[in-house]
Amino acid sequence: MQRLKEGWRIQVRVIHALTLRELHTRFGRENIGFLWIMVEPLLFAGLVAIMWRYMKGPEEHGISIVAFVVTGYIPITLFRHAVSRSISIFVANSSLLYHRQVKVLDFILVRFLIEMLGGMMAFTFISSVLGLFDAFPMPADFGMLIGGWLLYSMVTLSICFVVGPLSEMSEVVEKFVPVLTYIMIPFSGSFSMVSWLTPTLRDYMLWSPFVNAIEIMRGGVWGENLQVFYNVWQPIAFSMVCTVIGLALCRRVRRTLAVE
Amino acid sequence: MITCHNVTKNYGHGGSVKRVLSGINLQVNGGDRIALLGRNGAGKSTLIKLIGGVEMPTTGKIARTMSVSWPLGFAGGFQGSLTGYDNARFIARIYDRDYKDMKAFVEDFTEMGRQLRMPVKTYSSGMRARLAFALSLAIEFDCYLIDEIILVGDQNFQRKCHYELFEKRSDRSMILASHSTDVVREYCNRAFLIDQGQGSAYDDVNEAVEAYSAL
Repeated sequence: MQRLKEGWRIQVRVIHALTLRELHTRFGRENIGFLWIMVEPLLFAGLVAIMWRYMKGPEEHGISIVAFVVTGYIPITLFRHAVSRSISIFVANSSLLYHRQVKVLDFILVRFLIEMLGGMMAFTFISSVLGLFDAFPMPADFGMLIGGWLLYSMVTLSICFVVGPLSEMSEVVEKFVPVLTYIMIPFSGSFSMVSWLTPTLRDYMLWSPFVNAIEIMRGGVWGENLQVFYNVWQPIAFSMVCTVIGLALCRRVRRTLAVE
Repeated sequence: MITCHNVTKNYGHGGSVKRVLSGINLQVNGGDRIALLGRNGAGKSTLIKLIGGVEMPTTGKIARTMSVSWPLGFAGGFQGSLTGYDNARFIARIYDRDYKDMKAFVEDFTEMGRQLRMPVKTYSSGMRARLAFALSLAIEFDCYLIDEIILVGDQNFQRKCHYELFEKRSDRSMILASHSTDVVREYCNRAFLIDQGQGSAYDDVNEAVEAYSAL
C-alpha cells in the first residue's frame, strides 16, 4: 500500500513534468503560448460550422446547425489528433526513458490529456461565445454533457493505448491509421443522429462507441428537444477491452524497445 | 546493492535475432567501483542500459536496492530541442529536487554560462558530459553509471569530476565502461570483462586489464 502510494506520487510528478515539457516544446513561450492547444479545434469547429450554416440554413431537424456541428467536431478532432499523436510515440520520446520513473504509458497519457484539455477549452469557449448570440442552447443537463464527453475521451484514450504500441510493432499500422480515422467518420456520430436512421440501421449504428458517447453529449445539450438513443455500457465495455489489450501491448513493446 | 541474475539480452531486427549478452551474473555492493571492460560491440553499453532500466532484459532479473543514476553517456537523458536550463528544470521535477539548488550547482559545476540557454543539441560532447554529470551529482545517487563519457572532458572537467565523484563521494558505487586502462586502474577496485556475450568478474583490476589486453 505504501509502495502504491509512493508510485502514484511519482507518476503524478512525472505526468506534470512531461505535460509542461510537451506544451513547451509544441507551443513555445512566445505570444499566446499554451493557449494554442485550443486554437486548432476552435478553428476547425468554427469554420466548418460557418460553412454548414451557409450551405444548409440555420436549422436542421429542429436544432441549430452551428451548435450541432460544434458538438460533433470537437470530439472528432480530439479523436483524430490524439490517435495520430500516439503513432511512433515511444521512439519519439525514447531519450526520456533514460529516467526510470518515466513510463511509456505516461507518454500516451500526457499527449492525450493535452488534446483533451484543448478540446474542453475550445468547447467551453465556442459554446459560450455562440451562447451570447443565441446560437447555442444552455445545456439542459450538464452531467449528461460532461459524462458523454468523458465517455468519448475514455474510448479515445483506450484506442491510443492500442495504436501507440501497434505503430511501434508494424509500419503498416503507422501508414493505415490516418486512412482509418478518415473512413470512420460516418460511424463517428459527429455528423448524424441515430434518430435520423431507420430502426434496423439504428441498432447497427449503436455498435459504435463514439455514436453512443456523442448521443449522450447531445442529449445533455438539448435535453427534451432532441431524441437520442444510446447505451451507456457500450462505450464503457469497449474502452475496458481496448485498455486491457493496449496495456498488454505496451508492456510487450517496452520489453523489446531499443533505446539509443 | 544491484544484482543481475542470469541476464540475457537479444536484439531482433526483421527476422534475425542477435544475442548480445547471455547469462550475465553481477553483483554491485555499496562502494564498489566496477570497471566494465570489453571490445567495441561487446555489450558494455547494453549492460549499462539494462542496469539503468533504460532497456529490459530478454530473460533474467535485475534487482536494485540502491538508487541508480541514468546512464551518463553520449546519448539519452536529454531532450535536444530544449535548453540546458529547461532540461535541468525537467529533471529537477521528475526527481523531486529543488530547481533553484540544482540550477546553482549546474552553473557552478559546468561553467557554461550563457551556453545553458542554448538547445542541448548544439552542445559538444564535452558540454553534454558536463551537464549530465552536474545534474546527476546534484541529485545524489548511490550508484553512478558512466558510459565512456568521462573521457571526453578537458583537464578542468576531469579535475572537477575527480573531486566531486572520487573524493567527496568516495562511498558511492560506480560502474564505469571504458577503454582507457589508465582510468580503470586509477579509479576502479573491481572489474567485469565482457567477451562474446559472457561476463567474468575480477576482484583484481590489473588481472582484468591483462585479460582485456589479450583479447
